[in-house]
Amino acid sequence: MEINGIKIEKINDYLWEIPAQGGMLVPGRIYASQKMLEESIKNDEALKQVINVAHLPGIQMFSLAMPDIHWGYGFPIGGVAATDLDEGVISPGGVGYDINCGVRLARTSLKYEEIKHKIQRLIEVLFQNIPTGVGSSGAIRKLSPSEIKRILKNGAEWAIENGFGSQEDLLYTEENGKLKDANPESVSERAIERGLDQAGTLGSGNHFLEVDVVEEIYDEKVAEVFGLFKGQIVILIHTGSRGLGYQICDDYLKLLVQSEKKFGFKLPDKQLACAPIKSQEGQDYLSAMRCAANFAWNNRQIIMHLAKKSFKETFSISDSELGFQLIYDVCHNIAKIEEHVIIDKNGKEKTKKVCVHRKGATRAYPAGSLLIPEKYRSVGQPVLIPGDMGRYSFIAVGKEKSMEETFGSSCHGAGRVQSRHQAMKSAKGKDLIKELTDSGIVIQAKGYKTIAEEMPHAYKDVSEVVDVMHFAGISTKVAKLKPIGVIKG
Amino acid sequence: MPYKFIEHTADIAVEVEGKSIEEIFISAFNAWKDIVLDITAVKNEQSKKFLFASKTLEELLIEFLSELNYQLYTKKWVVNSINKILIQKTGEIFHLDVEVFGESLKNKNHAIKEEIKAVTFHQMKIVEKNGNLSTIIVFDI
Repeated sequence: MEINGIKIEKINDYLWEIPAQGGMLVPGRIYASQKMLEESIKNDEALKQVINVAHLPGIQMFSLAMPDIHWGYGFPIGGVAATDLDEGVISPGGVGYDINCGVRLARTSLKYEEIKHKIQRLIEVLFQNIPTGVGSSGAIRKLSPSEIKRILKNGAEWAIENGFGSQEDLLYTEENGKLKDANPESVSERAIERGLDQAGTLGSGNHFLEVDVVEEIYDEKVAEVFGLFKGQIVILIHTGSRGLGYQICDDYLKLLVQSEKKFGFKLPDKQLACAPIKSQEGQDYLSAMRCAANFAWNNRQIIMHLAKKSFKETFSISDSELGFQLIYDVCHNIAKIEEHVIIDKNGKEKTKKVCVHRKGATRAYPAGSLLIPEKYRSVGQPVLIPGDMGRYSFIAVGKEKSMEETFGSSCHGAGRVQSRHQAMKSAKGKDLIKELTDSGIVIQAKGYKTIAEEMPHAYKDVSEVVDVMHFAGISTKVAKLKPIGVIKG
Repeated sequence: MPYKFIEHTADIAVEVEGKSIEEIFISAFNAWKDIVLDITAVKNEQSKKFLFASKTLEELLIEFLSELNYQLYTKKWVVNSINKILIQKTGEIFHLDVEVFGESLKNKNHAIKEEIKAVTFHQMKIVEKNGNLSTIIVFDI
C-alpha cells in the first residue's frame, strides 16, 4: 500500500515495513493495524520521520515505530532506534525534551466499594499535597544546587535517604531509579536552577496523577504476581524531569546543531542533530541525559510518597491496612546502553551492546530477564500504558518477542487526535467537570483550560494501541484500569 | 505585528511575519506572549538587556524565545514589551541586542496559560513570502 507517497509492505496484520531507499541505512518498521495506518497515522508526517531516523549513522536493523506513533521532533513519538556504540550516534531528538517522562503504578489493598464515598475528599487532599500546574513548585523545601547535584547523581536514592519512601521502592523502579555515569558537571547551571524548586511536582500538560480501579483482569496469573485484583484501588503517576530536563535537551540540541558540520553529518531534519556516541559531545549528552533521568525518578518517588501520605490522611488508616506498594516505574523517553541480539545485513547474529533510543516507547523485557525485579522474573516486566482520563489505562507484560523484534520495547500511550485548540472548541458550552463527575470521575486541576484540552475525546482510543502490541506478541494485556479521580496541572 | 496560529495536534504552532528580521522577532514575541499568559495586567516596571550570538537567524530566534521562557518560568519575571531590538551580522555570526520591559510575576495578577517546554527547530526557516519575511515556530507544550 502507499500512504502519503510512501510505499509500505505488509509483513503481517500488525507489522508493516518501509523498505530502505535513498539514504536510509535500514528499513522502517511500523506496528499498527491497517485501520490505524489508513485512518490516523496517515494524518501527519510521522512515517516520514521513521524514514528520517533510518538515516542516523550506525542505526541497527530497523527504524521502529510503535502503534501510538505520531509526529514528534526529529524522531516520531513512538519511535525506537538502536545505534552501534562504535560507529553510531546519540540524538537528543531520540529522547525528547521531557527526559525520562514516565509512568509509575502503585497498588493499595483498598477496594473501590469501601472508599467510593470518599473519592472527592481523596482527590482534594492529593491536590493539596502535590503541586500541579505550570511551573509548579514547593512540594518539598527548596533545594540548594549541591543537593540537586546529588539527585542528578543518585536519582530516587535521594528521596529514600530523605524519608520519601522505602528501599524496597527502588527494587521496583526501572534501573533501580538511578542511571550510573551521570555526572552533574555535564549539566548547565541554568538547568540546575530550573530544577531547584521542582522536585516532587507534577507539572502541566498531559501529566497527571490518577486514582484508578482495576476494572478487568485479562491474565490472572500475571495479575497475581503483580499484586492486582479486580475492584482494587491503584494509582498512576505520569510526569518527568520538568524544566531541568527540558533545559538539558535544549542545551545539547543547540550544541549538536552547531556541531553538525564538524561531524560531517547530513541529516534530513535539524531536530535529528546528533553526535557520535564515542565523541566528547556524545558522552556529555549521555551523562546529562542520565542526570535528568535520575531527577525524574526522584520526582516520581517523592510524588508517590506524597500520594501515600494523602491516602493515609484521607482514610485515617495504618500502613498495613492501606497496603500501599510500588508495582513498577517505567520511563518512556530515554536512551540507554543495553545488550541485544543484532542481526547484520548478511544475516549474521551477534549479541552486543547498543544505544537504544525510546521516544514515547516503554521498555518491555520478558520473563527471565535479570534486569527486572526478581519477583517478576517468572512472568515479565510490567508495561504501563496510560490512556485518556475518561476511559481507561492498561497494564501489560513484556514478552520474549520484544527482544527479538523491538529491542525490548512496546507502546507508551494513546496520543492526541485533536489539537488543543480543537479540543477547546469542542468543549465550548459543555460542563466538562459535570460530564466527568457523571461518568464517575472526580477531577481537580489548576485551570479549566487544562481540563478542556485534555478531555477524553482529544485522545485516540488507547485500547487499539494496546491490542496491536498484544496480538503482535510484544507485550500482552494483564489488566484494565478505570480512572475514578484525577489531578492535573 | 502579524502572527497566526496553525493547527498542530500535539503542540502549538504559529506562523509569524515581518518586513524585516527585527519585525519577525517582534511578531514571534507577540505570539509567545499570546500563548503563555494573560498579559494585559503586566507593567513596564523594569528593563533588562540581552545579547545573543548565533550562526543562523533561526538559532538566534530560538535563543531569544528560550530566554523569554527562562525569565518567565524560572526567574518569575514577565517580559511585557520590547523597547529596542537590533540584529546585525558580523562575519559569519548574527548578533541580537535587545532591551525588554516587564515586571516580576505576581500570582494574583498574572495567570500563566501555558507551560512551553521548548522552542523547537521543527519547520523553522525564515523565508521570503509575498514580499515579507516569514517562518513557522513550533512550541513543544
